[in-house]
Amino acid sequence: MKTESLIRVVLVEDHELVRRGIAELISAESDMDVVAEAGTVAQARSRIAATNPDIVLLDVRLPDGSGIDVCRSIRQEAPQIRCLILTAYDDEDALYAAVLAGAAGYILKDIRGNRLIEAIRRVAAGHSLLDPTLKKMVTHRMREASSGEDPRLDALTGRERQVLNLIAEGLTNREIGQRINLAEKTVKNYVSNILSKLGLQRRTQAAVLGDRAHRSG
Amino acid sequence: MEGRNESDSSNDDSSAGRARGEFGRPLDDTVNHVPATLSDRGRLYALLRANQAVTENLDLPMVLQRIVETAVELVDAQYGALGVIDPVHGGLEQFVYQGVSPAVAKKIGHLPEGHGLLGALIDDPRPIRLEHLCEDDRSVGFPPHHPPMDSFLGVPVRIHGEVFGNLYLTNQQSDGRFSLEDEQLVGALAATAGYAIKNAQLFAETQRRQRWSAATAEITATLVSVEEREPIAVIAERVLEVSGAAHVRIVVPTEDPARLSIKVARGIGADVEGTMVPAVGSVSGAVLEGMNPRLIEDEDFSRIHPLLPEGHTPGSVIAVPLVANGQARGVLLAVREISAPRFTPSELEMVADFAGQVTLAMELADARNAQQQIVLYEDRTRIARDLHDHVIQQLFASGLELQSVAGTLTKRSNIERISNVISTLDAAIVQIRTIIFSLSSTAPGSTPSLRHQIIDLVNEFDGGLAQTPTVTFAGPVDLVIAGGLADDVIAVVREALANIAKHANARSASIAIAVEDGAVKIDIEDDGVGISPDGRRSGLANLEERAARRGGRFILDAGMVGTRLRWHIPLTANKNSDEN
Repeated sequence: MKTESLIRVVLVEDHELVRRGIAELISAESDMDVVAEAGTVAQARSRIAATNPDIVLLDVRLPDGSGIDVCRSIRQEAPQIRCLILTAYDDEDALYAAVLAGAAGYILKDIRGNRLIEAIRRVAAGHSLLDPTLKKMVTHRMREASSGEDPRLDALTGRERQVLNLIAEGLTNREIGQRINLAEKTVKNYVSNILSKLGLQRRTQAAVLGDRAHRSG
Repeated sequence: MEGRNESDSSNDDSSAGRARGEFGRPLDDTVNHVPATLSDRGRLYALLRANQAVTENLDLPMVLQRIVETAVELVDAQYGALGVIDPVHGGLEQFVYQGVSPAVAKKIGHLPEGHGLLGALIDDPRPIRLEHLCEDDRSVGFPPHHPPMDSFLGVPVRIHGEVFGNLYLTNQQSDGRFSLEDEQLVGALAATAGYAIKNAQLFAETQRRQRWSAATAEITATLVSVEEREPIAVIAERVLEVSGAAHVRIVVPTEDPARLSIKVARGIGADVEGTMVPAVGSVSGAVLEGMNPRLIEDEDFSRIHPLLPEGHTPGSVIAVPLVANGQARGVLLAVREISAPRFTPSELEMVADFAGQVTLAMELADARNAQQQIVLYEDRTRIARDLHDHVIQQLFASGLELQSVAGTLTKRSNIERISNVISTLDAAIVQIRTIIFSLSSTAPGSTPSLRHQIIDLVNEFDGGLAQTPTVTFAGPVDLVIAGGLADDVIAVVREALANIAKHANARSASIAIAVEDGAVKIDIEDDGVGISPDGRRSGLANLEERAARRGGRFILDAGMVGTRLRWHIPLTANKNSDEN
């Protein structure tokens, strides 16, 4: 049972050494604990449902899907659970990923552990780590993209642009489906496509996201 | 003239006809074995020599000249000429003559154009033989200064049944009139002349084809090997050279559908290069639209957009679309002046073939470049992915491990040592992120991101450093630093690098650009000799001014060793100004 004082964390990360290192770091703190670990999207879904944690730490790239997708479903199914994106990408990609996922923030994989621990505490206390100004800039860019003003995102179809615009408004997949009359599963597919296409123009992610989109698509 | 003096026969049978039996033997043999005593045989001998004379040349203008000379000789005429009929417009296109001196020809002025008797022969290609040409109804008289002409013999020259032109002979010198036999002799010569002309035409055509094919091979080689030269300019130059045109241009579409741009121009009036022509009312516009090669000569060139500078009149134009992937990317125009021979349909065909080959070569070269880009891109993507998936993760995991170990230690010096290692690992991770990013390339046609611009700036920097300056980014740099702020940031980095190159005598330098804690921060350090106060105040003042304008500050710390430049500006004051 969850106690008020202990922050219960689920850790979703496919790299075993990294997962073990982070788990040790968290467990060393007196006010938080790792209640479950997962290396895949499938494990993450079932273990999050089983443990109902306060915080989920999510790697963007997972072998069977995207942490961004997982985060979006958590926000929809259990909005009280707060998500932090954990990524080895650079800030640019991480920020977009966090905004797309509707996460409370992102943490780059830097070793100085106090940053991670501090981030978990702040998010658990109800704060967002995303600078409102920066978040606004990201959604502004996404709106530009969705209205076709950003030539880098020509690859997006009209429907995908529409979905992206609603993501930028902060809607969940279900809400998007209701708004534009699509099945939730279809919206999820659109989101996956958008992620991989956005990744395409930030190329490092493209290599990774492209792979994964094929497997999860 | 040997044959002529002895032969005065008015025999109505054709000498040429009776000579047929002799043609089974090689011409030289026949000529050498014909006894010159009999008059028939003598005329035959002369005809054979004449035939040989007109067939021994392959150069067309020379062949025509020889035909006239030989005909004059054969029937002892004072004057002779060959009028070449213009197959498209009628009338005479060329007039090759013998007997009239250049001085007299100059006095007469223009060459005959095919009126009067000359025209009659064009309209009805059958031999005309007259004792006194002035008595004929069809005669229109002579222009001033024209020498007097009396007896007249005109015979058509045919190639494969088509009338090529007419042989005109006047003033039979020995008898004062041309005989039926003369008519038959010239008729026989005209038959050979037809073949000789055809041969010469074919030869000229073959040579032209060879020149075009050589030009095509050369252009293809150029396109494949040379990158620094605009291939389109090489194309225009070669067409000018090979086609014998006075002016060649390549016209391409612009964003404005109503206007076309002259991308390259060569020959006379080459200074039109870079200017615009209207799409409507220009030859190029019509060809771009129709995508078909065109040979234009009937058009009233004065009514369309000028093709040649003032003082020059276009006579015929070849216009060929440059088609790539089913789209007309441009038009190649070759223009000859009115005084030059017109382009022929076969020349049009050759230019069109040439253009086709060349555009194909251009496409291939493009495709090959694209292919190489893709290979490079895939390679870089793979390296980037490996760095991301393996190297960063491993470093990160090892660092976390060290961090846990540090927690179990009690000896302060050990904790510090591990802490230093962790810092080094963190720095390495940040470096690798920059490397991953720089491995990715900007999509063609789009503006490079600020990070790419900074990386390019640093990579191009040659300041005598032992190694390329390190670059690190923190925070969403591309997102935040845009527009005018991006210009400032690039200016700061450029100025700092220039200072390091000129004055610092440094071995290494680092550039850190961060968007964090609500600020944009540029920190640039080097390990050089520091700053001398003279010389470059203006550059530094400029940086100071740029910082002040954005409510930020510019600090320069110059010690005995090394210089640290800090250019920090608050984000809140600037976030709105960059929306524009």
